[in-house]
Amino acid sequence: MTETSKFHYIGKPLPRKEDRRLVTGHGRYLDDIIVPGALHACFVRSPHAHARILGISAEVAREMTGVVGVFTGTDLARWTNKLRLAPPIEGLHPTEIETMPTDKVRFHGDPVAIVVARDRYIAEDAAECVAVDYDVLPPVTSIDTAFAPDAALVDDSLPSNLVSHQTFSAGDVDARRKEAHAVVEASFYQHRQTHVPMETRGCAVLWDPGREHLTIHIGNQVPHPLRSQLAGRLNLSESQVTVMSPDVGGGFGQKIALYREELAIAALARHLKRPVRWREDRAENLMSASHARENLCRTRASVTENGRILGLELELAEDFGAYCFYPANYMSRVVAMIVTGPYRIQDYAFEMKVALTNKCGNGPMRAPMAITSWVMDGTIDAIARQLDLDPLEVRRINMLRPADLPYRMATGEVLEDITPSETLESAVNAIDYEAFRKRQRALRDQGRYVGLGLCTVVESTTYGSAFYKSAGIPGSGHEAAWVRIEPSGTVNASVGLGGTGQGYETALSQTVAEGLGVDPSEVKILTGNTDVAPYGMGSRGARGGTAGGGALFLCARKARGQVLQIAANKLGLNTSDDMRLLDGQVERLINGEWTATGLTLADVARNAYLDPTSLPEGITPGLDFSLTYDPPPMTYSNSTHACEVEVDVRTGALTILRYLVSEDCGTVINPVVVRGQQQGAIAMGLSGALLEEVIYDETGQNLTATFADYMVATACELPNFEILHHHTPNSRTPAGIKGMAEGGVMGAIGAVTNAVNDALAPFGTVADRQPLSPQYLRSLLRDRGAAARQNEQE
Amino acid sequence: MSEARLISLTVNGETRETLVEPRRLLSDVLREDFALTGTHVGCEHGVCGACTVLIDEKPARACLTYAIQMEGHEITTIEAVSDAGLSPLQRALHEEHGLQCGFCTPGIVMTFEAFLRDTPDPGEEEVRDVLSGNLCRCTGYQNIVSAVMKAAAEMREAAGD
Ligand code: FES
Ligand code: FES
Repeated sequence: MTETSKFHYIGKPLPRKEDRRLVTGHGRYLDDIIVPGALHACFVRSPHAHARILGISAEVAREMTGVVGVFTGTDLARWTNKLRLAPPIEGLHPTEIETMPTDKVRFHGDPVAIVVARDRYIAEDAAECVAVDYDVLPPVTSIDTAFAPDAALVDDSLPSNLVSHQTFSAGDVDARRKEAHAVVEASFYQHRQTHVPMETRGCAVLWDPGREHLTIHIGNQVPHPLRSQLAGRLNLSESQVTVMSPDVGGGFGQKIALYREELAIAALARHLKRPVRWREDRAENLMSASHARENLCRTRASVTENGRILGLELELAEDFGAYCFYPANYMSRVVAMIVTGPYRIQDYAFEMKVALTNKCGNGPMRAPMAITSWVMDGTIDAIARQLDLDPLEVRRINMLRPADLPYRMATGEVLEDITPSETLESAVNAIDYEAFRKRQRALRDQGRYVGLGLCTVVESTTYGSAFYKSAGIPGSGHEAAWVRIEPSGTVNASVGLGGTGQGYETALSQTVAEGLGVDPSEVKILTGNTDVAPYGMGSRGARGGTAGGGALFLCARKARGQVLQIAANKLGLNTSDDMRLLDGQVERLINGEWTATGLTLADVARNAYLDPTSLPEGITPGLDFSLTYDPPPMTYSNSTHACEVEVDVRTGALTILRYLVSEDCGTVINPVVVRGQQQGAIAMGLSGALLEEVIYDETGQNLTATFADYMVATACELPNFEILHHHTPNSRTPAGIKGMAEGGVMGAIGAVTNAVNDALAPFGTVADRQPLSPQYLRSLLRDRGAAARQNEQE
Repeated sequence: MSEARLISLTVNGETRETLVEPRRLLSDVLREDFALTGTHVGCEHGVCGACTVLIDEKPARACLTYAIQMEGHEITTIEAVSDAGLSPLQRALHEEHGLQCGFCTPGIVMTFEAFLRDTPDPGEEEVRDVLSGNLCRCTGYQNIVSAVMKAAAEMREAAGD
């Protein structure tokens, strides 16, 4: 905590400003916004995974009382442009997506028609009456079938289902393999999941025919990029579109892209000249919004006798689903770039393949690179198993030491201001590793199987423009902010982020307060309205704190500079050196003591707005500041997760006995908010690793369209989390902020699986896929029946 | 689809009339006809608990209830909980950071307002057990559990005074 003590407002555990409205039911989420006269839309969706659309007959639906119209992909093709994704990335095929399919559907749940009606009940009734004639095609439902030589094409415009293929090599992995004491292979399959924000997607769109202006209410993480997309696809200028994102009931990466449904509703509002709204139901959300993960990694490590990794090879394949709303290499690429994480590995090669299949399209989900740390620390455990070494020692011998930093990874990424060995040591200390091993042996003798899993995470948090450039992705990592001190001295500030529950109104007010020198209660943060906020890149990854908080902090500092100049002038001083603003009071350093001047921010504001002729020379009226800020190429946070589990070998049931994290995310803006983010991220990781799974059968039918089938962890499946904190500030960002929010997912996935494998070690079996369901664990043990029986007898 | 009928509902102590089709869900009538939008809809199939209201003081899923069944019953929604300022539970959720996006929160408040009335001194296990009827995707539940425990302690203390 000493690192943050130089701050007055950053680092304070302030309870959140937004809570009052949310706990009393007065939040305003999308569906709470009343739009008089709004029509309701309902989508007709494909029951097939892959089929040609032969015809759509909507006469019956159109005749129904209350139905305003039924529209198809052909209508939308007239009013909107396709999404073309063709970034100049080597090994990536350009793709194009229609607003709604006109020729064929590509997954179970693909939209084929929209019914617009007076209310939602009627729209749903009518949607059932729309008859679509399909010619069913063979479905592609796995990575293997996608790459089979006779595979059906998911996207007819591509030569094959291999939409992206990239390779990389640094050092000489072949030579390392030859000189190695052993070559250890391991594999990791992460199943398909989906984001499940508790508030589903949706939008309400108004078209003003007089002003020719479109207003869309939509819960979204990136309001400005969304506006650019929407305007472009509708042939409108960016000044003809306003995006308003209200309170949002969670996003986790699902509310970034402009989805086809939302674009269709916008086009219809303009076409019909009437407000149209859509609220996704849960089945649609689980089947058709966006999926994530489903990737398979194989590693091959060349190691010395004592487990030192000489070279690492990674093969990575991802099942991307049917449509590319993001460049198909995007998520896998980050995994491949940072997989070596906290370990010293210079000889490294990867090959990554991304497949199109007849499933809902993939998108980034909280920790798009979620599998990374499991792959790396799981590989370490595989080395320890094969060479009969202590997994902790194998970590230690390979881990970056403080003297290695800054460290240029084999991929060229530079790690600095991180502390992996510190978090590892403090985690194993807190767990008491030796005592655990003793307990484990004693319990095994009683036929009980407990295990300890470790996972050290290096989390890429904030992506600067330079990172995008080096990854060949057009785009910016900057963020924009404005700060306005109003005539009364109260402060409004804005930034281009789009919050979905992160507590921005509180934490960001602390960054402004710090930069300016006022109490956070005096600062109001306005986000989510593109007419109010400056054009920023929005909320994704863990950039909110570093990019957004950083931009606001710097902008508030700029404001403070001018405030102090005006104050100096009012006090008859010719310099504002040795002056500061604290709690809205102007102070001077006199004989080494900060002394009140009697002047307040309100006095200065009055001067700036109401008596501008008395301002010092060169200072213009008002107190209105803005700037943009581009973070360093990449910032990293780090942590070590330690998880103790017990596996009931008779039932396969898994119990988490203890969960501990030692983390370092640099300067913390608000520890209450940060702790909440960390708990939430671990919970999401465990929920995914233990329970959740999107299941498609071999015909491509989605079998998990309700919460009874797609299981999200409840309070009974999750433990309490113990968190230990380190605070090593980033030396390149304002206030040393690094960001966090995704590392918890990465660590949880790895720690819990490593723990299970530690527990199952006596059976000589390894869990190399998730979810770690009782059925799966039992199946591993069943194959090892003899070993199990023998062990029970011993 | 049968004809709409005029029904009268008692919501938060007030009796109001509305014309509903028999198939209209209580959650929709509360939100759309009465503008009580604090009752959220997260799944419409009875699992997530976001739509929890009190029917005759007992927690129930508004998305599994037809409004027309509710004549003669008392319905309480989140909007009535803070009539006299934040309740101890709402305050504890705020203090313990028991919410992030807040979408699940009204359902959780309704569940535990009823629970704490009947169970003034619950154990953590019991709280987790009851909480398992409400999904929260943001918090990992830990802070919600501590908020409920804190509210319970505060309410016991207040009752003892
Ligand atoms: S909306 Fe009623 S339980 Fe989910
Ligand atoms: S706070 Fe977001 S779902 Fe619970």
